[in-house]
Amino acid sequence: MAEEKQAAQEAPIVEAGKTSKWLTEQGFDHEFLGNDASGVEMIKVDAELLIPFCTALYANGFNYLQCQGGYDAGPGEELVSFYHLTKVSDNADKPDEIRVKVFVPRDNPKVPSVFWIWKAADWQERETFDMYGIVYEGHPNLKRLLMPEDWVGYPLRKDYISHDFFELQDAY
Amino acid sequence: MVMNPEKATFDGGSIINPIERPSVTQELSENVILTTVDDLYNWARLSSLWPLLFGTACCFIEFAALIGSRFDFDRFGLVPRSTPRQADLIITAGTITMKMAPALVRLYEQMPEPKYVIAMGACTITGGMFSVDSPTAVRGVDKLIPVDVYLPGCPPRPEAIVDAIIKLRKKISNESIQERGQLRQTHRYYSTTHNMVPAPMIHDGKYLQAETRVAPPRELAEAMGLPIPGVLEAEKEVIDRG
Repeated sequence: MAEEKQAAQEAPIVEAGKTSKWLTEQGFDHEFLGNDASGVEMIKVDAELLIPFCTALYANGFNYLQCQGGYDAGPGEELVSFYHLTKVSDNADKPDEIRVKVFVPRDNPKVPSVFWIWKAADWQERETFDMYGIVYEGHPNLKRLLMPEDWVGYPLRKDYISHDFFELQDAY
Repeated sequence: MVMNPEKATFDGGSIINPIERPSVTQELSENVILTTVDDLYNWARLSSLWPLLFGTACCFIEFAALIGSRFDFDRFGLVPRSTPRQADLIITAGTITMKMAPALVRLYEQMPEPKYVIAMGACTITGGMFSVDSPTAVRGVDKLIPVDVYLPGCPPRPEAIVDAIIKLRKKISNESIQERGQLRQTHRYYSTTHNMVPAPMIHDGKYLQAETRVAPPRELAEAMGLPIPGVLEAEKEVIDRG
């Protein structure tokens, strides 16, 4: 009984979500990453195909970029740029949501900018560039947002080492 | 010298055992204050200690409560000033990051002498909770400017700020004009000599009018213009009409 349960946990059958299925039907090949804790479907997209995917999703009604951000998958692993999309309309009740993730190598992290589809990406992409060094090609003003403009390094990467500035040394 | 007390009279009355209390001395003691210039000067200064309206984080919420009627710091003569030129005191309410540090030092430099600093909250004393692993938080504002009173707490209650101000008033009341020479504007904080080159201003207020915002680069425009299936275009039209 317990073994069966374990086996079921090891190989769960994840059925692709509604939007993921729709994308596949339209010929947009991608990898389905499952649902997150609140049931939002996540898909993985190549960096070169991000713009066609986003154009298609925008045409499907995902008119609102709720959040754009990044994270570091781990030391020596890939950097991730994610886009959380939803549909905004009048009297909306549980509108569709989807999270698009783009995995990029940390030695050459380049992703096309979605600023020209969702203007909200402007500062969010600047922040992700600031913290992780992901270069958003085609962004109108890609410079550091939070850190000083002459800062060296990207502080939220796992392999970042803090500078030994006088101001950052321990107080006594 | 022997005087005949019987003959000594004043204003028709006897000086010895007068009918009422001597009024001249009484009024003198009520109307003459004996003090030193130092005390008078210090009393005037500590009673009108104008703080700079400066806050960078949650500590300022507590400081703002002090401005309101419940804690009412006007009774100490504290009138918040929005320009450093008119301020005597800066309360560093909130975390100071390395990006904020030059602005804080410049504000401090612009204040006229004599000037005082209260380091409010754990962040400005040691870096507080940011002292563990932050890449930017300055570990203690005393690395930038000289601090007179350290006010711990995270954040401190308004009563604690009142206490810090009373302690600062005590400090001011102990000062002397003879030591005024030490109050001259000097370089009182750590810095290195630099060889900076003047650069054109990049914050010109035309952020949204930048040329790069007019149209996407050609490669992106092409990518966005990729042919999409007919079903999608039909749906897009519906959205456009809506």
